[in-house]
Amino acid sequence: MALAWGVRSLRRHPLRTALSLAGIAVASAMLLDMVMLSGGIERSFERLLLGRGFQIRVSPKGTLPFDTEASIAGVTPLVRDLRADPAVAAAGPVLGASLYAARGDSLLPLFGYGIDPAAQGLYALTAGADLAPADTSGVILSRPAAAAFGVAPGDTLRILGGLDPQLAGAAAERRLVVRGLVRWIYDYRGQRSAGLVLPLMQRLSDAVRDDRASFVMLRATSDAAVPALVARLRARHPQIEVNSITELVAQFRQRLLYFRQLSYILGSVSLIVTVLLVATLLTITVNERLGEIATLRAIGVSRASVVRQVLAEGAALTLAGAALGVGLGLATARYLDAILTSFPGLPAAISFFVPEPAALATAGTVLLAAGSLAGLYPSWLAARAPVAATLRAEAT
Amino acid sequence: MGLRCLRFGCALGLLLTVGPSGRPAVAGAQLAVERRLAAELQLRVGDTIRVGPAPDSLRSTLVVTAVYQPRPEPAAVMRRDRQIRMHLPDLAALLGHPDRVDRFGIALRPGVPAESAAAVLDRVAFGYRAHPSAEIASESSETFVVVSRFHRAIGVITVVAGAVFLLCIMLLKVEERRLDAAVMRFVGVRRRTIFAALLLEAAVVAVAGSTLGVAIAWIAGAATNAYYRRLFDTELVFSLVTPGIVGFSVVLSLALGLVAGALAAWRLVRTAPLALWSRA
Repeated sequence: MALAWGVRSLRRHPLRTALSLAGIAVASAMLLDMVMLSGGIERSFERLLLGRGFQIRVSPKGTLPFDTEASIAGVTPLVRDLRADPAVAAAGPVLGASLYAARGDSLLPLFGYGIDPAAQGLYALTAGADLAPADTSGVILSRPAAAAFGVAPGDTLRILGGLDPQLAGAAAERRLVVRGLVRWIYDYRGQRSAGLVLPLMQRLSDAVRDDRASFVMLRATSDAAVPALVARLRARHPQIEVNSITELVAQFRQRLLYFRQLSYILGSVSLIVTVLLVATLLTITVNERLGEIATLRAIGVSRASVVRQVLAEGAALTLAGAALGVGLGLATARYLDAILTSFPGLPAAISFFVPEPAALATAGTVLLAAGSLAGLYPSWLAARAPVAATLRAEAT
Repeated sequence: MGLRCLRFGCALGLLLTVGPSGRPAVAGAQLAVERRLAAELQLRVGDTIRVGPAPDSLRSTLVVTAVYQPRPEPAAVMRRDRQIRMHLPDLAALLGHPDRVDRFGIALRPGVPAESAAAVLDRVAFGYRAHPSAEIASESSETFVVVSRFHRAIGVITVVAGAVFLLCIMLLKVEERRLDAAVMRFVGVRRRTIFAALLLEAAVVAVAGSTLGVAIAWIAGAATNAYYRRLFDTELVFSLVTPGIVGFSVVLSLALGLVAGALAAWRLVRTAPLALWSRA
């Protein structure tokens, strides 16, 4: 009843209501975008890391995976030890380094991943066949790499490592058969990448002497076992860094402090704009309708009913504006996401604006509460209007 | 003193670890420590520390000969990396990579274009690539170009929201003057005069609002700089309110205020005085 009354009241001034709705729609679109931004990239990052089910990363002391060029020496006995833990379901070492591949007379750089195909969490096969665990004559490529070198599964590619400018030669060189094409989960758009079995990659990148890897991915037997496993591995291997995905996300969050704070500030500004708009509109409307309100009071309508009606008017205005703002917010989020995901070196699978039902529900609730609260002052004005004096003033 | 890993930025870009002093492997080597790291590890000039490429191989003992303040680097401010500087041969020996560098700079003779020199080097290159400094600057600033584009997009949305808000407020404000406008029309004041008066009022409100906005922006900018400088322990400037930005904001809000005021005033003066009187 109160809501219908509020809607009728808003329809009396179509231009005023339309402008207010436009203002609230833009403000709520901004709020929606900021809610998506505030936690979107963290969730996106977490999904990316957990995409293949590996919940733990083991990296050189003081670093995160691929954060520096540091690597772990003696990775074979380390992986053997890790796999011996009953809570470890799989352990996959990874070595990342720059390689070169021949295209005609020239050499083009590409990023090389040394992996254990039996325990990998870095790619998904899209064409051809996967590497076999001991396949030292095969390579898997990203689609941009295959396109750059003009090769397909079954073709041969000459791959070189350790180029020496003084000797004008490569320290290691192999002709490898392209087994398949894959989508590397952590690659940025257009990245040329190749995957080889770890021993071959170590030989090509001069990491075989110390048996090096950049990091090791661990899959625990269950999510519940992760905290205890991390603690156990830290105690057993103090010379390396052991982090669960939750801890990596926490460190990542610290680096994205700017975006989180920006989203809080702009989200708050959006809420303030909404409150100001609704409060201003309702205050002027109530002032214009004081005579009407006094008449209603005179014929027996209670103060509480008048207050409810004004609050409902604010809620109706906010709801309608927010409904318009959802579409606008999703469109602007897509546009802003396209800008931010063009950061150099960012994995193509990362998104900054992630619509999460819980976050969107929170934003909607906060907006509705703010819109209703904005009606408090005008409803107070309406409730305390002196009936007799107002009617007398209206009559004269 | 505990173990501490740090990114080594100047020569080989590798990770080093520092710890309490012990058996030396690189005798007589010196290092300079950046101010924040020196404070965190309580290091002073003359102290000796052990350094190595991994926590279990701290074989080199080095003497701290300088504590320095690195140039503020926007790209690294979020990473909170700490740096030390060593002579190149000492570092190469420490890492077991003698006669190897990540990169080096070349100063050209006056008049030699960097692009053509880089092209000549690239033609004979094997295992390296030459880049003109401008190209490196352009690529390394790509992150900030993206951030600037994001800020511009957010700015456009904010301006749109502000314009609608201003239009709405101006409309409501002018509509409040219905009674005044009706009375003025009854006593013979011309529509043009009423329109000009309402427009002038809108301009005054826009100028006052802009002035207040500039003051708020200046205070918010100062607070932002104080907060982030303290948070990241840096001298970088995070928020800059320039005369250009102030001028753009004031002109934009004045223009929006005048347009909104003109629209609302035009709507008001077009309405018959009796209708205005009855609605008021």
